[in-house]
Amino acid sequence: MENKYQPITIKICQEIIDIVGENNFITGDLDKLEPYSHDEVADKAFAVMPEIVVKPTSTLQISEIMKLANREMIPVTPRGAGSGLSGGAVPVFGGIVLSLEKMNHILEVDTENLLVVVEPGVITNDINERVKNLNLFFAGYPMSVEACFIGGNVAENAGGGKAVKYGVTGRYIMGLEVVLPSGEIVQFGGKRVKDVAGYDMVNLMVGSEGTLGIFTKIFIKLLPLPKTKADLLVLFKTPEEAIAMVPKIMTTAGIIPTAIEFMDQLSIKTACEYLNESLPYEQAGAMLLIEVDGTDRKMVEQDYECIGDLCQENGAIEVYVAPNHTTQERIWAVRRNIAEAFKVYSPIQSLEDIVVPFASIPEILPILDELSTRFNIVIPCYGHAGDGNLHVTAVKKPEMSLDEWNAIEKSFLIELYKEVIKLGGSISGEHGIGSKRSEFLPLMMNPTVIDLQKKIKLAFDPNLILNPGKIFPQVHEI
Amino acid sequence: MLRIIVPIKQVPETSNVKMDPETGTMIRLGLEAIINPLDLYALETALRLKQTHQAHIIVISMGPLNAEDALREALALGCDEAVLLSHRAFRGADTWATSYTLSQAIKKTGNFDLIICGERATDGETGQVGPGIAAFLNLPLVTYVRRISEITPAFACVERLVEGGFEVVRSEMPLAITVVKEIANPRLPTLRGMKAAKVIEIPIWGPEEIEANPDYVGLNGSPTRVVKIQSPKVTRSGTLMSAKSKEEMDQAADKLISYLRENNLLNWMNAK
Repeated sequence: MENKYQPITIKICQEIIDIVGENNFITGDLDKLEPYSHDEVADKAFAVMPEIVVKPTSTLQISEIMKLANREMIPVTPRGAGSGLSGGAVPVFGGIVLSLEKMNHILEVDTENLLVVVEPGVITNDINERVKNLNLFFAGYPMSVEACFIGGNVAENAGGGKAVKYGVTGRYIMGLEVVLPSGEIVQFGGKRVKDVAGYDMVNLMVGSEGTLGIFTKIFIKLLPLPKTKADLLVLFKTPEEAIAMVPKIMTTAGIIPTAIEFMDQLSIKTACEYLNESLPYEQAGAMLLIEVDGTDRKMVEQDYECIGDLCQENGAIEVYVAPNHTTQERIWAVRRNIAEAFKVYSPIQSLEDIVVPFASIPEILPILDELSTRFNIVIPCYGHAGDGNLHVTAVKKPEMSLDEWNAIEKSFLIELYKEVIKLGGSISGEHGIGSKRSEFLPLMMNPTVIDLQKKIKLAFDPNLILNPGKIFPQVHEI
Repeated sequence: MLRIIVPIKQVPETSNVKMDPETGTMIRLGLEAIINPLDLYALETALRLKQTHQAHIIVISMGPLNAEDALREALALGCDEAVLLSHRAFRGADTWATSYTLSQAIKKTGNFDLIICGERATDGETGQVGPGIAAFLNLPLVTYVRRISEITPAFACVERLVEGGFEVVRSEMPLAITVVKEIANPRLPTLRGMKAAKVIEIPIWGPEEIEANPDYVGLNGSPTRVVKIQSPKVTRSGTLMSAKSKEEMDQAADKLISYLRENNLLNWMNAK
């Protein structure tokens, strides 16, 4: 790809070492650079090696690096835990990978204002471990909660399994300290719950995929921790019956579950075989995993009985109950291991996270059937039924050659995205556009809207040095 | 119809057990209580026998009043009857006193053909109560059962897991067995089952109801005491082999294979 970026010279390396220290600097050793060349996108074609990796330990260091990068025209790609699924942390144009792994401190737990202030490299789960004893929690719940960093969650506006009731990450971000591409340090928002002064810069930063600034402090709203929860695993004859339950649960039963996860038969079967789990999936065309939480056990019991009864009245084959942690883990394990199980079946795949209005889920299923026949691939479908966000995954059959796969993958994605857009959906609900989907963005977005966003990008980053090659196709033609 | 007894224990949920370093005992406060995971295999074994043969399953637990939850869950899975042994006098029982108390209760429930126990409880980890019950009731006992191949009112044929294989044991009935995980994958409770379980009455028995000798129950009746619990220090030393060239890689692989051979970790290869 043609670009105007400059290589990193020995002199520049020395300057960077002077900023971050020798221990926080990697170059030359390919074994050590390699982990920073990719995220969790399975296809290695998306990986690019960085020239150097820096691990700054303070906001000022990041600011210095950005100033230097601007002066020398070196691209900088910020990186959290690398658990992303859109290539967001991949240094598409080489240059510097700026890993936030050492900025991993919980700076403040403010119990009076029900919030925490953290650095971006804190593991998301650690926030909840820290505030659990105060009966508080952060309600964002990406499925990779034990590994991912909060900074990446904010950058991608991560969704996950509990969005039905609690929404996505952005709902809980009250303020951000940001190092702008110019190296200037600014703060958007803060500890205030309401604030309409000027544009909503916090929410512009949330989901900006590391293209507008690097977060150095994150102000996160906490909620009272629900004391108890229970899960239902409900078997249906058809996906249509399963999906039809989603609005009914919220209207007829009047309950907003924490999670409503959908799994088609192929997903369940593959995950069960992988885990050596025995669920009676043979007669079930689809399953819903429904979680309810609350402050006391009786209430939660009432809620799940109400939902379970409603499911049975509407044709559910069987309703299983997981009232305690052990059984809950058992059924969530099935849901969480679907992706892993398919990786074992065939590692070549494209994990998608399309989103459609949830009432349209039954319409997308026959389309997937048709596409899987037409392209001769396996397409399991599972995900967050409560918000219409489905992890449709295109999996290469083991017997298909890599050349054949490469020839069809892109056409498959275009066909899939076109159908999704027709239904009023989006090509990504929570993983982001990154480098993986940028060429497809024009399929769903009006050129005027893309142009407007490119202008925003330029206002923040006139030299296009921060995380280039993400979201917008050919940003360099601006 | 087979009459089956399944003694179960309520244990703290094991993923978050914390020990009190002062007293060496488990901190039970605030922990979720569940059916001992290994007892679920005993319950599943009984429930499958109920499906294939006709059976009436009685589940018994000794513990505090809230052990009723464990019994309700067992009823929700499909057991027919439950008894809770709960009394101040039972507190602090060791495995001997527990086995005695449970065996008295089993006698009280009437005739039975089969007692199915889990291999051990995940909190105490002794594995003694199943065999203890068999001893008090003077029953034949088969431990580590991985399969019941035949069962009639007169006898049962079972497979017993032993190191490197299994034994086939034929025993007369009534019989006590303890089962291993291999025997069956436990089912999940259904909503229908849970609702049905709610209305089943669970009697609570004390020492009088089971005609127990007061000197044999609880802490007083326990010949053993836990004096001290220590967490063993795990010392692991690893050997790191690195290889930078093809030759070094071959050498490293040879070294690894001979290490595994010496430590008897490559048996499956010999078996081939």
